[in-house]
Amino acid sequence: MTDRKTSWGVYAGLVFLLVLTLFPFYMLLISSFKHFDQMILEFWTPSFPLHGDNYASAFRQIAPFIWNTVFISSCIVVGVIIISSLAAYSFVRFDYPGKNALFLLILSLMMIPGFLLLIPQFMLVQKLDMLNTYQGQIFPPMAFGASMATFLMRAFFEGIPKSLLDAADTEGASEWRIYASIVMPLSLPVIATVAILNFLAGWNNYIWPLVATTGDSVKPVILALSTVTGTLDQGISVKLAGYVISSLPLLAFFFLATKPFISGITSGAVKG
Amino acid sequence: MSASLARLRRNWKGYLFLIPVFAVLASFKFIPFFDALRMSMYDWNGANVKSYVGLANFKELVRDATFLDSLGNVAGFTFAAVIIQLIVPLIAAVLVFHVTNRKLQQFFKVWFVVPLVIPSIIVFLTWQWIFAGEYGVLNEFLKVVGLESWTHAWLGESKTAFTSIVFVNFPWIGGINFLLYLAGLMTISGELFEVAKLDGMNAWQRFKHIELPLVRSQIKLILVLTLINQIQSFENVLVLTNGGPGTSTMTPALYLYIQGFSYSRLGYASAIGVTLFAAVLLLTWVNQRFIRDTDKID
Repeated sequence: MTDRKTSWGVYAGLVFLLVLTLFPFYMLLISSFKHFDQMILEFWTPSFPLHGDNYASAFRQIAPFIWNTVFISSCIVVGVIIISSLAAYSFVRFDYPGKNALFLLILSLMMIPGFLLLIPQFMLVQKLDMLNTYQGQIFPPMAFGASMATFLMRAFFEGIPKSLLDAADTEGASEWRIYASIVMPLSLPVIATVAILNFLAGWNNYIWPLVATTGDSVKPVILALSTVTGTLDQGISVKLAGYVISSLPLLAFFFLATKPFISGITSGAVKG
Repeated sequence: MSASLARLRRNWKGYLFLIPVFAVLASFKFIPFFDALRMSMYDWNGANVKSYVGLANFKELVRDATFLDSLGNVAGFTFAAVIIQLIVPLIAAVLVFHVTNRKLQQFFKVWFVVPLVIPSIIVFLTWQWIFAGEYGVLNEFLKVVGLESWTHAWLGESKTAFTSIVFVNFPWIGGINFLLYLAGLMTISGELFEVAKLDGMNAWQRFKHIELPLVRSQIKLILVLTLINQIQSFENVLVLTNGGPGTSTMTPALYLYIQGFSYSRLGYASAIGVTLFAAVLLLTWVNQRFIRDTDKID
């Protein structure tokens, strides 16, 4: 980093790019508060009165589905954390024949692209009677998140001083105790990273729920968005309000925990 | 042999801790993977018709006009995406990197990333609204600046649909590549910049001789990520045009989806999947082999 003062050219460029980047969302936001006539008359600026009824209507239509998404994403997160931390603990704590091969096996599964598995996973879930169930929405995404999570957890666990674990061992603690009472509490950063990555992925999941659910019982909010309707007065703004509502939880999450969020996203992109 | 056995006896619990992850992976990744390979050689509609046909699906694929169109399209999308992702987020990252005020730098960093946090489908739906023929934001803009003759049904005309999809998320900064470039720039040793200042380098020279070469690792990673992402994901096309009009925006992954779920040609769809998978493996290998990492440069 230089200590030169930043040139105004840099600032001008950045502000211009930022405005371009955020413009669609600005339009989304201001339009979501308008009725149809306001859209025609005042398209580019916020228009008063702000119509909260768009939001009320949209919320009424998508509220149950938001619950589905929250529930499914949370279960995916918990599931991935459990199975990947157990596996990572195994790789760090024990030395058994085939250990490296098994680890490589887990990693190599990351290479398999989603579209290849889409149809066989669908057939499998159908056979197991898990279509239209929460389990059917939770387990396949868990499988997708597990490899990366195991990799990240293992890397983190290896940084925990072995002396700490051995000391507990000599005190007679079982492996399970060491895992649960020592390793996991010390691993909050990587747990946060894995949680964020998988919660994001769960919330964003579109194709899989599209394929593996019909009807409304476990439909996630992302699928419900295109069916939101408004009265003739309200126009499409109710739908736009639905988009905004569905983005709010993730945005809130992001602004409350920006640093872990950003580091989570970047570590998720860097393959081994 | 007995050393191995001793290891086993002391460490067998390790296997226990692996059971949960392998149970999930085996059922939902492993088995479907081999199923996909197997299915590609069958003619199967998921219900009653199931017969072994060997390589017939692949032979049909090579002569399938829609598939060939889709290959051309995905090549085009990928080419455009690679060019864009190698240039625009990098420029933005360099600009942000050179903001000296820490707080302002953080401000820009956070707000550029906001589109990444918004669910991708919502981003696509928003852009669908922008490109809408009636009352779409883009058309309204053109009307306002007096270019009404330029309005189109952007996603509904074969001449404009492809380019419109490329332009989704313009200006293409709000994404992970921006963060990766920034992270890479931040690892460049401060000393190099001191030397550059002493040498009297201007901004362009500094970019060309220091910043660009030293983000080579990031460039390589982003190249792979962009390639893989373009080939794999078809949600944008599905939501925006469903491959149309005609086949002007059809991609192979979308074609797989349509063949499998609209036409119930599960064997044929699997053959598409296997072919694409082979292509991805090949491209990843090429990237690994032929593009040097930053750490190998002195």
